[in-house]
Amino acid sequence: MIELSIDGKRVMAEEGATVLEAARAAGIGIPTLCYHPGLPPDGNCRLCLVEIERKGKRELVISCMYGAREGLVVHTRSSRIWKARSFVLKMLLERTPDDPLLKRMASHYGVAFEERFHVESDPCIRCGLCVRACEENGTEAIGFAKRGWEREVSAPFEEPPRDCTGCKACAVVCPTGCIDVEEEGDVRRIWGKDFRLVRCALCGERFATEEELAHMGLEGDEAKYCQRCRKMLFSARFLVGL
Amino acid sequence: MVRIGMASCGIASGAVPVYEELRSILAGESSVEVKRVGCVGLCFREPLVEVDMDGVRTIYGDVTPEFAAQIARSLLKGELPESHIVYSDKAEAPENAVLDGQMRVVLKNSGIIDPEDMGDYVARGGYKAAKRAISEMQPEKIIETIEESGLRGRGGGGFPTGRKWRACREAEGDIKYVIANGDEGDPGAFMDRSLMEGDPHSVVEGMIIGAYAVGAGRGFIYVRNEYPLAVKRLSKAIEDARRAGFLGRRIFGSGFSFDIEICRGGGAFVCGESSALMRSIEGLPGVPRVKYIHATEKGLWDSPTVLNNVETWANVPTIIEKGPEWFRSIGTEGSPGTKVFSLVGKVKKSGLIEVPMGMTLKSVIFSLGGGILKDRTFKAVQTGGPSGGCLPASLLDLPVDFDTLSSAGSMMGSGGMIVMDERTCMVDVARYFIDFLSDESCGKCVPCREGLRAIQKVLHDLTGGRGRKGDDELLKDMAERLAETALCGLGKTAANPVLSTLRYFPEEYAEHEDGYCRAGVCRGLFVASIDEGLCVGCGSCKALCPAGAISGRQKEVHRIKASACIGCGSCLDACPVGAISAARRDAP
Amino acid sequence: MTSRATEAPETEEILRRYPPDPRHLLSILLDIQAEHRYLPRETLKTVSDYLRVPEAQVYAMATFYKVLSLKPKGRSSIKVCMGTACHLRGNVEVLRALGEHLGISPGETTSDRAFTLEVVYCLGCCSLAPAMMIDEAVYGRLTPKKAISIVEELQGKVMAK
Repeated sequence: MIELSIDGKRVMAEEGATVLEAARAAGIGIPTLCYHPGLPPDGNCRLCLVEIERKGKRELVISCMYGAREGLVVHTRSSRIWKARSFVLKMLLERTPDDPLLKRMASHYGVAFEERFHVESDPCIRCGLCVRACEENGTEAIGFAKRGWEREVSAPFEEPPRDCTGCKACAVVCPTGCIDVEEEGDVRRIWGKDFRLVRCALCGERFATEEELAHMGLEGDEAKYCQRCRKMLFSARFLVGL
Repeated sequence: MVRIGMASCGIASGAVPVYEELRSILAGESSVEVKRVGCVGLCFREPLVEVDMDGVRTIYGDVTPEFAAQIARSLLKGELPESHIVYSDKAEAPENAVLDGQMRVVLKNSGIIDPEDMGDYVARGGYKAAKRAISEMQPEKIIETIEESGLRGRGGGGFPTGRKWRACREAEGDIKYVIANGDEGDPGAFMDRSLMEGDPHSVVEGMIIGAYAVGAGRGFIYVRNEYPLAVKRLSKAIEDARRAGFLGRRIFGSGFSFDIEICRGGGAFVCGESSALMRSIEGLPGVPRVKYIHATEKGLWDSPTVLNNVETWANVPTIIEKGPEWFRSIGTEGSPGTKVFSLVGKVKKSGLIEVPMGMTLKSVIFSLGGGILKDRTFKAVQTGGPSGGCLPASLLDLPVDFDTLSSAGSMMGSGGMIVMDERTCMVDVARYFIDFLSDESCGKCVPCREGLRAIQKVLHDLTGGRGRKGDDELLKDMAERLAETALCGLGKTAANPVLSTLRYFPEEYAEHEDGYCRAGVCRGLFVASIDEGLCVGCGSCKALCPAGAISGRQKEVHRIKASACIGCGSCLDACPVGAISAARRDAP
Repeated sequence: MTSRATEAPETEEILRRYPPDPRHLLSILLDIQAEHRYLPRETLKTVSDYLRVPEAQVYAMATFYKVLSLKPKGRSSIKVCMGTACHLRGNVEVLRALGEHLGISPGETTSDRAFTLEVVYCLGCCSLAPAMMIDEAVYGRLTPKKAISIVEELQGKVMAK
């Protein structure tokens, strides 16, 4: 364990933790948009900026990627940080003015939409969580295409992606809910592709797509039962004889 | 010995037919050698032909194929023509000052050797430093030498090279890399191009020494796609070096093996940023990464990597050869050595120059550069490319080095120096740079992707006559916040062109808010106005006015009808006596 | 166009120059672009399989780097430099004139696929500003008239073929 100071408070953290992880574990709030505890950090939204003291000066760093270390002094609130975060939120709001989460964050920082900077509305904030989730699952079916202001999340050639297994992890992690998933009966449609959903042999819940199970190489019980039922069946073996 | 400048500028100016002419006439002549060389250094007088006779150099400028034939025929008689001389070792010539005022260290071979002939490079002492370094010095000693020399990165960052090498050497890992950044994306800069085209072996030799010092077995030279000739010359240099045993296994009979590969860019300015460049070599889009862990620890493929600009590498052999004290004796205390600059824009003698660090802007622009084109008035000099800023006349006495220009709101950067006159609109300059950066942004982080777009909108409003009161304050605020929040150097320094022009030319921003462009650049934001006291009645303006707004008879004062003037600015440059200026649209 | 470009020989030949290491992706794409003047869809699939990189990565590369294009570019590429020196010395007018002469905007290709007009930022020939590059030849000290006559000469050569 290492000790650092955040907003004047002494905070203990695990070795190798980031400043964000240390702060959150200590109940100190730092806003984020492109961060997810189960995925590698990317540092693109810039919302989690904090100030650290180094060589007698204060430096702005992004807490989701800056490693906590012994004796580090961190400030999560200051007028400099406030200005930085409100700039980021303003810029996001101009492109995504209708998202409830962004609107709430923006209003908290006193930021309003201005027609002058509006080009077009787009619910995607390019946080890349969907791309990272897909990478994490080993499918890498979608990615970022183009560059600059045109940069966007896309399936290759803007067609239903060959490698997508319909697991919908991308839709689940999306902060603005802009990935459409339609489920009707045993069919899930996402990224313009249809997938057949598998029902749990015990409870009937549709718990995965056939392609997902095939990609993960799951067979036998793991391909027949949903996670809850599997756990229950597994633990039932220990209750024999009670 | 006859040398003809055949780098890209030479070829573009028409050097090929000149070379053909010389070659055909002097073909069988054993006493005369005709050699194609790189950048000679008097770019504004290309095509250039240099004749070296009995150790005396004479350079002819603006050479046509016909004059080339004349030179050739004179040489066959053992004589030299008297006209077209731009430089001479023994007599007065118009451009003597431009070459004599320089200190060509990095460019010492450029313009002298045939860049495709390794023999030339070796004859001038090439690969002696590498041999000495590998056969006689220890890696630790080499790093110490570079540290003592005070060499700082020539790509713009100015980071102490020795410290970078040491960090890589001390990093954990058996596999290490060295990279040469030849991505030179700053518009207005061509130092690296000339170096790669004119003396490719100097970069190769520097990398061999550096690789040995840090323990790297492989090196990469990343060359931007727009420089095919540089790729060709570097490839040849590497092949020749391999054949001679300077690259490959057991170099100079030691246990050290090292080889270099060339990587072409794909047309992305952001790939000049070190982490983006490494991603590009790895086969990924050039998207930068947050760098809290330095590349010297985790760089290319997460291995310890030294990335230096090609000009930095080219300095290394000379430092090893002549010693760190020699290097320190040139330039300034904080910025030792020389620097290659590309002096371009509204300057009379536009071209590449290499001078000791610490020379003032005034000396560079007026002594070497010959002053402002058409004898107009100096207005500003933009240094450091899109990461730099514009400096006004009041700062001309500033010395050019790593640190002084930064505190004035610009930076020396990679060496681009763009000179501007009163016909340059400073708001338009800011707009130009933001347009460029917005086009080149990788789009990963919010401040750069969305912020540059917003700043771009305001600047386009200002140059388009839609500016609003308070836009200057708004721009300053947005630019400052962009600098604070952007992920990489591109975004962080994007604020500089905006902030420096706001700082030194606030009146132009105020005027644009009012819809007036005093430089006569922003279409429609002015009317052309003739100073009757200066007009000589030549009619040049009337001839090209697209709106027919100018009237007047030959040799009589001409007049512009303000209501008909569309504010295009064509006449402002056409007037031979500078009698036309840009006036406010609704002036009384 | 597509079917001819996906014939194995040229693509195979290009792939053979490089071992199947993902790091060669950019070089391979640049070579294919040089050969076919664009990146045919089927060829990109072949590359993805050869290097064992996800299609998403190949698509990302193809759309990130400005030299690469998914649509066919003209036989000749006219790159008008918009570097600072060229901008200051009037290349905006040259670009406008060329666009009018060819009937296309920057980024577009003429209908006969002869020319693509592009803006590049800095060819590195600033002393010759304003400059443009047509394929690998650089032309400097341009005026709108001079630029048009250079293109007209090339058009004459194209027609003669």
